[in-house]
Amino acid sequence: MGTVPGQAIFTDVPVVPPKRVGLMRKVYRSRADYLYVLPAIVVMLIVIAYPVYYTIELSFFKTPASLQLKDKVFIGLDNYAYLLQLPAFWKVTVQTLIWTVSSTLFAFVLGLGCALALHREFVGRGILRALLLIPWVVSAVAASYVWKWLYHSDFGAIGALAVQLGLTSEPINFVDNVQTALPSLIVVNIWKEFSFAMIMLMAGLQTVPDQLLRAAQVDGANAWQRFWHVTFPHLSGVSMVTVLLLTVQNFNSFIIPFIMTGGGPVGSTHIWITHIYEFAFQRQQWGRGSAYAVLLFLIMVLLGYFYVRALTRGDSSRAGS
Amino acid sequence: MSTMTAGDRPVARRKFDGWRWSGRVFLAFMLFFTVMPMAWMLITSLKTGFAAMQYPPQWWPAEPTLDNYTRLVDPRSKVGQDFLRYFWNSMFVSTVSTVLAVVVAVPAAYAFSRFRFPGRNFLFFAVLMRNMFPAVIFLVPLFILMRLLGLANTHGSLVITYLTFGLPLAIWLLKGFYDNIPIQLEQAARIDGATRFQAFFFIVMPLSTPGIIATAIYSFIGAWNEYIYAYTFLTKHEQLTLPVGIQRFFSENATDWPGLMAATFMMSVPVVVLFLVLQKYFVRALTEGAVKH
Repeated sequence: MGTVPGQAIFTDVPVVPPKRVGLMRKVYRSRADYLYVLPAIVVMLIVIAYPVYYTIELSFFKTPASLQLKDKVFIGLDNYAYLLQLPAFWKVTVQTLIWTVSSTLFAFVLGLGCALALHREFVGRGILRALLLIPWVVSAVAASYVWKWLYHSDFGAIGALAVQLGLTSEPINFVDNVQTALPSLIVVNIWKEFSFAMIMLMAGLQTVPDQLLRAAQVDGANAWQRFWHVTFPHLSGVSMVTVLLLTVQNFNSFIIPFIMTGGGPVGSTHIWITHIYEFAFQRQQWGRGSAYAVLLFLIMVLLGYFYVRALTRGDSSRAGS
Repeated sequence: MSTMTAGDRPVARRKFDGWRWSGRVFLAFMLFFTVMPMAWMLITSLKTGFAAMQYPPQWWPAEPTLDNYTRLVDPRSKVGQDFLRYFWNSMFVSTVSTVLAVVVAVPAAYAFSRFRFPGRNFLFFAVLMRNMFPAVIFLVPLFILMRLLGLANTHGSLVITYLTFGLPLAIWLLKGFYDNIPIQLEQAARIDGATRFQAFFFIVMPLSTPGIIATAIYSFIGAWNEYIYAYTFLTKHEQLTLPVGIQRFFSENATDWPGLMAATFMMSVPVVVLFLVLQKYFVRALTEGAVKH
């Protein structure tokens, strides 16, 4: 990484353009480079750019449930207006925020705790790390069924455990109760993804220079001060990427609420994605579903901007351009 | 990066290290939180249907049985036939889409890492942005597209669809690996008379094998676990992939929890084994882009 001395050996790729060269000329000079990216670009245009465009287009139309595209009617912004005045939309928005913020927060804090605790060498550290990572690798479908069974109102292990420990007098009905359903699902989500934060932060911890920590110790800093003033500032970059990725991931969650509750009871576990899915594929209101998706898309573009900025910081210096 | 140097940490070896002990207690708690659901899945899968439906539950099955597993892999029973077919479908779709994603991503990632062509930044930005988009954005239009192409209800539709998330991710991961291969190697090859493509193909490709493996695992796991597209695009019974197939099968006899737990266990085995064997590469691929050394 760093500098790339002598890249001029690639005569057809000038690292520093000698003088001002026209764009077309630069493109022409790099024509061989494009061959490498061409297949990727073609695939991405078909499977990514086209669908994004099409979703935006559909959001301005009323399309019959049968999805006969020739019968679609242009209705302007009606789909958006409909959504924005729908009380259920705002209820789901609040739930989405609760879901995203609390999942991200707890996953990050638990992941950070694990990363710090695992940073020291000790016997069994590798095994422990692998075990903690498994939830992140198993499919969300499997996780959803396992937790559904754990939460089962009659034969669930968690309810029975709570009774045996004397915490409650009878098993709690976790997922069929409007009050407890969403928090219960958030626990599952945290279980699934805290180790992602852990692994990112573990890698980040290795970039903290030992000398600094020692120096701080010599100067009389206690463990907390060392963490807060030395370790944590070094983790800020990784933390930002991790929190952003978790936020995006949680915003886009589908499987856990869809399988465990299907958005119920009485819509209390719907988040945006499951709600969009319901509009489009269960009620066949393609236009409204698409408008809903476009709103989500706009938020994602905003988050994406911050993500790319956090990720490419330093990239240009590394690339040497 | 692979060698985790933590042995020479400035550890205060005094009477009682409160931080250290709270760390251990915390880890023990997290271990319980992580393992308990998986353990309960395994224990339940060893029970008979009758034993699972008891209150208070049998914390350890009174009569452990492997029936739930033998039933799933027995090609003579209806359940076994379905399960094996779903398993094979998942394997096929995941493998093909992984191979495609890697084949297309390798040259692209190499170009993004090494070449400076106009539009490079914009294109790479587009690749990164894709990681942000939720599946639903693509769901309706791809559903329409697949109907137009006559691919509705085929595995082809899933293979193409899985490229929407597999390809950008693969490009991003691989670029991280290429960035870490010294360019001097290619320069040496060029001086010895190799063409640019030869230098890439014979020098860089073999060196990046670990990266390619890690990327392939990553795409494979993503495709293996994918649910929303498979659930929406496939309706024919014999074409379902495992995540959807399991759901469909068990919604028919909703009370068979031990069977369901055995099936989720079997579904998790391939990815967990892959992950455990190749953990080092996998972790590296994941953190490569986010942590600068």
